[in-house]
Amino acid sequence: MEGGGSYHRMPKVRIREMKDDYLKFELRETDASMANALRRVMLAEVPTIAIDLVEIEINSSVLNDEFIAHRLGLIPLVSDRAMEMRFSRDCDACDGDGQCQFCSVEFHLWARCESDQTLDVTSADLKSNDPLVQPVDVARAIDAAAAGGTLSSAVDSSDNRGIIIVKLRRGQELRLRAIARKGIGKDHAKWSPGATVTFMYEPDIHINEEMMESLTLDEKRQWIDSSPTKVFDIDPNTQQVVIVDPEAYTYDEEVIKKAEAMGKSGLVEIYAKEDSFIFTVESTGAVKAYQMLVNAIDVLRQKLDAVRYTEDADFHLLDEHMGGAAL
Amino acid sequence: MDPQPEPVSYICGDCGAENTLKQGDVIQCRECGYRILYKKRTRRIVQYEAR
Repeated sequence: MEGGGSYHRMPKVRIREMKDDYLKFELRETDASMANALRRVMLAEVPTIAIDLVEIEINSSVLNDEFIAHRLGLIPLVSDRAMEMRFSRDCDACDGDGQCQFCSVEFHLWARCESDQTLDVTSADLKSNDPLVQPVDVARAIDAAAAGGTLSSAVDSSDNRGIIIVKLRRGQELRLRAIARKGIGKDHAKWSPGATVTFMYEPDIHINEEMMESLTLDEKRQWIDSSPTKVFDIDPNTQQVVIVDPEAYTYDEEVIKKAEAMGKSGLVEIYAKEDSFIFTVESTGAVKAYQMLVNAIDVLRQKLDAVRYTEDADFHLLDEHMGGAAL
Repeated sequence: MDPQPEPVSYICGDCGAENTLKQGDVIQCRECGYRILYKKRTRRIVQYEAR
């Protein structure tokens, strides 16, 4: 961080690894407030779609109505439409009724067990009225079927049998209508697109090479083994201690304590870089992991705009203080 | 308020026969005399918040 310019934040992002449900990236040249804001928005304010209202017609299963309604709410639905959808509370097409095409998606479920074998009612039995909004695992099965093979074989294959809602024995029946709505994780965790979102400070490790060379090979090995994670190793050619994976360091300070116990305090110095963060994002599948990041930045900007365009706010003092960075 | 309290049907816990009871009736199966009766589920649609 250069002196005086700490308010000038032009963060840089470098993507390291990207899968549909996993993202690892570096965020640099910003501070912890920005990193934490991003993490919190990704978890609690990126909108998704989830079942919010359940109308049960027939339920002779062993689970009671409210239990089934709760289970339905927790099923992750593909929410690529969520950013364009309206919240039902400020939808004017249906007077906040929450049942129109702009703010809701309807699902129907009808299942009855007619055989002596237990019938699993799964997310695959939920019939959506919008092909873009499906349970995450069903959408995945449809994609797999499009890539080759039939839909039923993809749904029934042992690794993708859908999310079990309830099991029925002979004669039991479940019939219901469910309304899915847009929402955010702050209102209820079922709307959170994130399984986990974490960030860590990048460690800055300095080995005192001179002091390290005063150790015998055996002492070096002991010191390396004192770390619970594999951060250091010995170069087989030069027999010198090298840093193999700085990010494996968990700020446990075991190596520092070990050095002190060996009478070699100052052997290694480890700092946390205050302006570099390594993010790990895991998605439930409702929104793709990279899209979670993009949407989170969008949501953050909307929130900042709301502050910026407040009429009675006097930002000139703040702007002066920040050297023109505020406005 | 209510002009006539509607008779409600119950199922016997022993023989499974359907019984209709009105207010003030003895709670007992007409077929077998068993004293535990179960109320039937409503035929109406019931609404729940999925939370």
